[in-house]
Amino acid sequence: MTAVKVTARYLSVFAVLAVVLLPAYWVVVNSVKTLPELVSPTPTFWPHTFTWSNYVNLFNQIPFVTYFRNSIYVAFAVTAITLALSGLAAYSLYRCRYRGRDLLFKVFMSSYIFPRVLLLIPLYVVFTRLRIIDTLTALVIVYVTTIAPFSIWMLHAFFTEVPLELEDAAMVDGASRFQVLLRIFLPLSATGLAALGLYAFLMSWTEYFFALTFIISDPHKTLPLGMAQFLQEYSIDWGLLMSSSVIIAIPPIILFAIAGRWFIKGLTAGAIK
Amino acid sequence: MLPQFSLHRVAQTLQKDPYFGYLLVLPLVVWTLLTIVYPFLDALRLSVFNVGYVGTAGRFVGLANYSKVLTSWEFWHTTEVTVWWTVLNVGLQVVGGLVAALVLNQEFWGHEFARTWIILPWLFPSIVLATIAKWMLDPTLGVVNYLLLHAGVVKAPISFLGTPGWAFLSATIVNAWHWFPLFALMILAALQTIPKEVSDAAEVDGANYWGRLWYVELPCIAQVLYVIIFISSLWAANIFDVIWLLTRGGPGDATNTFPILIYYKGFQEFRISEAAAISIPLFVLLLLYGVWYMRRYMQQEIEEPAA
Repeated sequence: MTAVKVTARYLSVFAVLAVVLLPAYWVVVNSVKTLPELVSPTPTFWPHTFTWSNYVNLFNQIPFVTYFRNSIYVAFAVTAITLALSGLAAYSLYRCRYRGRDLLFKVFMSSYIFPRVLLLIPLYVVFTRLRIIDTLTALVIVYVTTIAPFSIWMLHAFFTEVPLELEDAAMVDGASRFQVLLRIFLPLSATGLAALGLYAFLMSWTEYFFALTFIISDPHKTLPLGMAQFLQEYSIDWGLLMSSSVIIAIPPIILFAIAGRWFIKGLTAGAIK
Repeated sequence: MLPQFSLHRVAQTLQKDPYFGYLLVLPLVVWTLLTIVYPFLDALRLSVFNVGYVGTAGRFVGLANYSKVLTSWEFWHTTEVTVWWTVLNVGLQVVGGLVAALVLNQEFWGHEFARTWIILPWLFPSIVLATIAKWMLDPTLGVVNYLLLHAGVVKAPISFLGTPGWAFLSATIVNAWHWFPLFALMILAALQTIPKEVSDAAEVDGANYWGRLWYVELPCIAQVLYVIIFISSLWAANIFDVIWLLTRGGPGDATNTFPILIYYKGFQEFRISEAAAISIPLFVLLLLYGVWYMRRYMQQEIEEPAA
């Protein structure tokens, strides 16, 4: 291969990575600058000053811990419920035979055509009537609804991969279908469940649209709601927003580092076949 | 004698096909009925009443809301903005994703790192995305204006989020930046299923890079591209967060897409019924598009398990 070709190859890779990574770098760098440097009209591409105060202020100036706790609670609850509901439903759709199965599959998949805004208004009315408006429960319910259909699609690649012979063998040995599901099938598709867990967490961790409408009081606000107030103030405290952005982005990054490759597999397998 | 009730017997019966399948799918069916089907029917009901604030009882007004909505300039303007927004977003996301995938599909040092972490923008929550964008595009503090001024491209800083055309373009680019990595990874996975011999054979036959791309690689990944265009268009039409956080639909109504309009009508102007009457036509539109697209481009069938 010629030197020109190699250079072109690396230049193209650098260009793509720059588009993706530079804005992230810019937030991290600015989160540790002192205020005068942060708001100076001449930006410094490498910080001349260094301070943790933007991070410290998150904890002693605003109820960041409350927002964080609420977001974590919602994300974990949604992940657990989605795993249970979609996991069982996907097993049923991909591994059991019964009348109406194809129709059910189509119904689940087409629920993505329902615009979220269409559900927003009536759900708001219902949740008000049930007196769960302005609670995290309302968020958990609606997030599971929006995440479940795609989860089923994602599990396809993993659930169809488990050999049927294993299940048959266990049943011949006298295990009930339920035992087979719990002890044989689910452990064998653990990577699929991890992928699904990652997806559910990412989608619920900092969802903004439903949270904005359903949550009113400060103690129930999740991270995006809490931080959006600061973004829309007349004089914006950029230091706080930079450091909070870094912290908010860390959990998704860690989880993706762990389960990302399975997630991509689940995402693509359905489309590739 | 009555047959003895035994939990064990019930469990056994349930575990036999087909009840077992029904049993497992039942919870999600109930959940879907309660949180999608019922709200949908309720939205239909609301749209023919005149409910203002949530919780107040409205009066039946027939199709008055629909005729009001469908004859308003606002509705058609929003349709126009939403269509532009969706088309531009799908274009940028799919082309961006394709270019990035082709670049990353080459052999180079560090390809594993690059092929994993290109996902970074997609991992950023919308609030982080909006923070970065607002910070970088700020007229006085923003690095984009700084670079443009110093490169001599512009004479005065641009108010990216304060002028209609720029605001629309900025929000579009920010949203496309958020989504294109996901599609890049999907396309990359598809590209890697193409056997190397196919591409090599084309090269031996004298096809240059563009020839191979057009006649070999693109046809091989066409199915994935169709799926991606579909998902990306449905998602783009439903975007609320980024637009609301950056521009609130403004300036004026330059970025007023349907999700923004419906939210605004329902929760800022407190015209719940009108908001519902806007969301139904949107649903019909998306449904028609979805059915047409799937018939035309996608053959997604659930396959039979072997047993």
